[in-house]
Parts: sequence; C-alpha cells; structure tokens
Amino acid sequence: MPELPKIFGKIPSVSELLASASDYMPFIPKPAPKYVSESGKPVHGITAEFSKTPVVVRAAEKVRDAGYTRWDVMTPFPIHGMETSMGIKRTILPALAAGAALTGVAGALAMQLYMNNDFEMVVQGKPFLSWEPLTPITFEIGILLTAFTCVFGMMALNGLPRFHHPLFNSERFLSVSDNRFFVCIEASDPKFDPVRTRELLESAGADRIELVEDEN
Amino acid sequence: MSQAPSQAATQDPTTIPIPERPTPRAVLTEAQWQARLDKLAAHPAMRHDNVHLPEGATNKLSGLLLIIGAAALVVTILGAFTFNARHALAAFEVGLFTCIAMSVGAQFLVMIFHSLNAGWTTTSRRQFENVASLLPVCWVMALGVVLIEILGGGVLLTWLDKGLTGDHLLELKSPYLNAGFFVVRFLIYGLVWLGLSQLMFRLSRKQDETGQRGLTRVMRFNSGWGLLVMTLTTAFFAFDFLMALDFRFFSTMWGVYFFASSTLASVSVVVLILAVLRGTGRLTGAVTEEHFHDLGKLILTFTVFWSYIAFSQYFLIWYANIPEETAWYVYRTGEGGYKALFIILAFGHFVAPFCILLFRKVKRTTGLLAFMAAYMIAITVADMIWIVRPMVYAGAHAAENPGLDATWWLDAAGIIGALSIWGFFLVRAVGASPLVPLKDPTLHEALAHKNYV
Repeated sequence: MPELPKIFGKIPSVSELLASASDYMPFIPKPAPKYVSESGKPVHGITAEFSKTPVVVRAAEKVRDAGYTRWDVMTPFPIHGMETSMGIKRTILPALAAGAALTGVAGALAMQLYMNNDFEMVVQGKPFLSWEPLTPITFEIGILLTAFTCVFGMMALNGLPRFHHPLFNSERFLSVSDNRFFVCIEASDPKFDPVRTRELLESAGADRIELVEDEN
Repeated sequence: MSQAPSQAATQDPTTIPIPERPTPRAVLTEAQWQARLDKLAAHPAMRHDNVHLPEGATNKLSGLLLIIGAAALVVTILGAFTFNARHALAAFEVGLFTCIAMSVGAQFLVMIFHSLNAGWTTTSRRQFENVASLLPVCWVMALGVVLIEILGGGVLLTWLDKGLTGDHLLELKSPYLNAGFFVVRFLIYGLVWLGLSQLMFRLSRKQDETGQRGLTRVMRFNSGWGLLVMTLTTAFFAFDFLMALDFRFFSTMWGVYFFASSTLASVSVVVLILAVLRGTGRLTGAVTEEHFHDLGKLILTFTVFWSYIAFSQYFLIWYANIPEETAWYVYRTGEGGYKALFIILAFGHFVAPFCILLFRKVKRTTGLLAFMAAYMIAITVADMIWIVRPMVYAGAHAAENPGLDATWWLDAAGIIGALSIWGFFLVRAVGASPLVPLKDPTLHEALAHKNYV
C-alpha cells in the first residue's frame, strides 16, 4: 500500500481555535499565558537574529530536528528550499479548492436543472435542457467558488488579516525587511522551555537572542 | 512638491552617511566565461555518455519505423487506386496534420522559451528543437498533398474544382480561395517554416560547438519576429488545409484551435522522447522529475486551453445557428459514428486528462506522465479524424460510403504511414545531436531546477 500524501496537518483543538479567535474578538477571553516576563507581560517567544543565509538555513534545520511545531523563520527575501529546512508539510489548500470546484459545478448544475425543469421556454428554437447553455454558467460558478476558496482559504490558513503581531514590539525585528534573518520560537509551543530553547538558538549560531513580549 | 521642505537639505550634509554602492557587475570576460563553461562541463549530469546517444543507437528503431511507414504508405496508395482516392488522401492527411501540429508547436515553444529566457527548459529544449527541425519533412509531405489536390482538380479541397460554379459563397471567397494564391501561400509557409526551424536549430547546434554566448541573444532576437510570422503562417495553414475542407465554413477561432492542438501534441511528444531517453539511462540529473512536473503542467494547461477554444467555437456557432457554419457541426455530430467521436473528444480530450493531470503524483512520475503524453497524442489524432474524415463522404459523396467496417484498414494505414515516416526522421534527429544544448548560458539554471511548492 503506497503511503498517502500527508496533506492534512494536525487538526487544531477547540482551545487552540479559541486562542486564535481571541486575537480578533475582544469578548473571547485570551488563554492564560504560559510564561510571563519580568515586567509582567505574557511572553510571545524567543527570537534569534542571524546575518547570513546559510546560517539561518542550518538553524532552521536544527529547530526542525529538535521537534518544535510553533515557530517561524522571517527573512527579507524568499529562501529557496526553506520549506524543506523547516519541515513544512504541503498545504491542504488544493484539496479545499477541489472540494469547492466540485461543489460549485454540482450546485450550478442543480440550480439550472431545477430552474429549467418546470419552466420550459422556447429560446431561439433550441431544445429544452440542452447542455450547451448550462456549460458557461457551470464553469463560471465552479471557477468563482474555487477562486474564492483559494484566496480566502489561503488567508485563513495563514491567519490573515490581522491588525498587529507581537513581533513588531521588538525594535530589532524591524530590520527583517532590510538585512537580518530571524527565527522565532513561540512560547505556546509544547516543547518551549525558557532555558533550553535559548541554548538551542545560541548553539545554532545566532548573533543575538531576544525575548519578545506580547500585549496584555 | 517644491514647497515641501526637504529634510535632507536642512541637515548638515557631512552627517548623512552615503552608502557605498557596489560597482555594477561587469560582463563576464572571455576567461571568466570559459571558466564557467569548464565548470558546467564538469557537472556530473554533463558526462559525455549521459548527454550523447552512442553512435548508431537509433538505427534499429528508425529502421523499423521506416519499414512500417513505407508499408503503410504502400497500402494507402494501393487503397487510393483500388478503393477510393478521397478516402486514402483523408487518412494520410489525418496523420500528416498531427505531425505538422507537433512540429509547428515545438517551433512555437522553442521561440517562446527563448523570448522568455526560460532557464528551466534548457535541458529539454534540444528535443523541442529536434521535433521542430522536422518542419521541412512536414512541408515536403504537405507538398505531396498540394500536388494531388491541384492535379486532381480538388480531391478533398472541393473549391479547387473548376467545374464548381454558381455557388455564391465560393464566388465571394474566390479572391482568396483560388489555386494560384493557394500555391503562393503554401510556398510562403514553406519559406517561413523551413527558414525559421533551420535557423533556430543551426544556431543552437553552433553554440554546442563554439560556446559563443552571444548566440543566445541572436536566438532571442529571432524568436521575436519569428513568433509573429509563425503565428500568421500557422493560422493561415490551418485555414487553407483544415477549415477550407468545407469552403462554406468559417471560424475566426480556427487558427487558435489548431495552435492549441499543436502545442499540446508537441509537449506530449517531447515528454515521450525524454521518458524514453531516461529509460535508456541518459539525461540522469539533467532532466529530472522536476522538469517532468513542469512539462506535465504545460500538458494540463494546453488540455484546458484546447477545451476552452473548442467549446467556445462550438457554443457560438450553436447559438448563432447560421446555416453555413452549423452545417460543419452537423456533419461532425451526425451520421457515421461522429456523434460518438464528438462525445469521446469531450470526455477524452478534456474531462479525463484534466482530472488525471491535476494530481501532482502523475506529473512527477515519469512512467505515468509518458503514458498520458502518448494518450494525448492519440487523442489529438482522434481530433484530426473528427475534423478531416467526415468530409470524405459529405454531401454528394454520401452514397459512396461503405461504412467503417469495410474501410478501417485504409484509415489506419494512412495515419500510421504519415506518423511513422515522421517518426523515422524524428528518431534519426534525436540520435544525430547531443541530447542537451551543451554550452547554453542558462544551462546551470535547468540543472538546478526545482519546484518550490
């Protein structure tokens, strides 16, 4: 039996979904922070700063092999092969798009067949329920649903749009759009440990390690 | 704008650090270029036996194809004399137009790759060039068809018949549809196709030997005007030889329809060639699953493109319901099993390959993709059958139709004959030159090509 492609990642739990929804809806209480900084603010995570591409790729491989799941690499430009270095699984989006396309095609056909069923009208002497006029509408609705699913599904899977990100609290982080590379391991990661995570990033050759605080 | 105080002007100019700009990268010197060529030649994928076929390796296959082709053509010619000349010519034309579609499409794609500077295609481009370099062969075979049509006074192209008078549409179209202008146009197609295909092929081969990097720019320049004249000659070729089978019919989309088939078939045949070469242990590391993935995407794209064009053309004609246009579809969805062929094309040329080629696994597995490529060539032949074959027993000739059971051998012989003769030249061309452009400046891009998705 060939191995099926692993396009479905881990399904998020209810508490995880609530935690991400609380970013947008103030009436949803935020979960209690796992770690609190000395100033009493919740800890977002630990960032490591790098100045060379090969070093950050090696660092990403190191973090991946250490088994972290909630972390990211931020770079000023796309680095080819970073997704393998980070161990990112393929996105579920193609499957969602295929589902949307089939829904659109089936829905459009059902709508037109239902509407034409009891309401036969002679248009230009063409036969009733001929397949030709059904095709453009089926095609367009299929495309419409697929395109919407692709765009909005991509945004939802990326957690976009959002008003703010805790990483912007760090002054140093702003140089990510200039000439610096950052690896951030979030405090919500089950493997996160204030001491060992910092040691891991240090051993990966980071120029500078920083603790990033979240808003309250 | 002038009123806004510039911040830089108010500051002390000595405090503003002026970043040191890197000096613009100079053009490589000849020594640096030679060093890059040496580095490329040392690449493991560029071993001599990996990018060359051994001397005479293709003789067996090309000889076999020549024998099959010659035998099939003899059967076709016998069928023409003993049975029905119109039918034999139509069968040969089905095969011939598929070959022309593949060669024309390959020439298009070579020029598109050059004009877009498509680095990933470099290792597979030589096979496109090989397919395109058969345009002279195609033209000579088409010359045979033209001679038969002219000397026979309109065998399938009934408008060449001098005795055909009194048709108002033909009288209106006669400034275009007449034997003299037809021959002139055919000579222009030959000039453009022979000239362009040989020009691009020889430039590429010359670069193999001399390593002149400037030739890439020459090829790119020639691709610009070449694409324009190829587009026009291909469209008018399709008008003259396929659309004019029924001189009453006209469709402004016809050139695009033929173009869609030709690009689809040419990518398919190149995938087949590359898969066979990979199967014999060549091109390891030069053409990988990454390249097959992208070529598979092209097949998927042109499958959708063909369907879009084919349906749009049909849909407008169906709605407008103008007799001279509709008649064309009436022949092709009516008697003689053409309705079944129409449905087979709708599902076999669009629905099935679209659903299969959507899967990444299919495009990245060489065997599966090669199977799909062979299938797409077969379905292109079916498309040509659907276009050409109904005209044999159309209109006044309907009474001559002996039915498919009695004539299938003639169809098969004509199609196999044309395809095999073309295949003979193709196999010889593949064996005659290195399997990749050896000293192309973009070769390193193709060798490192990866799909980052």
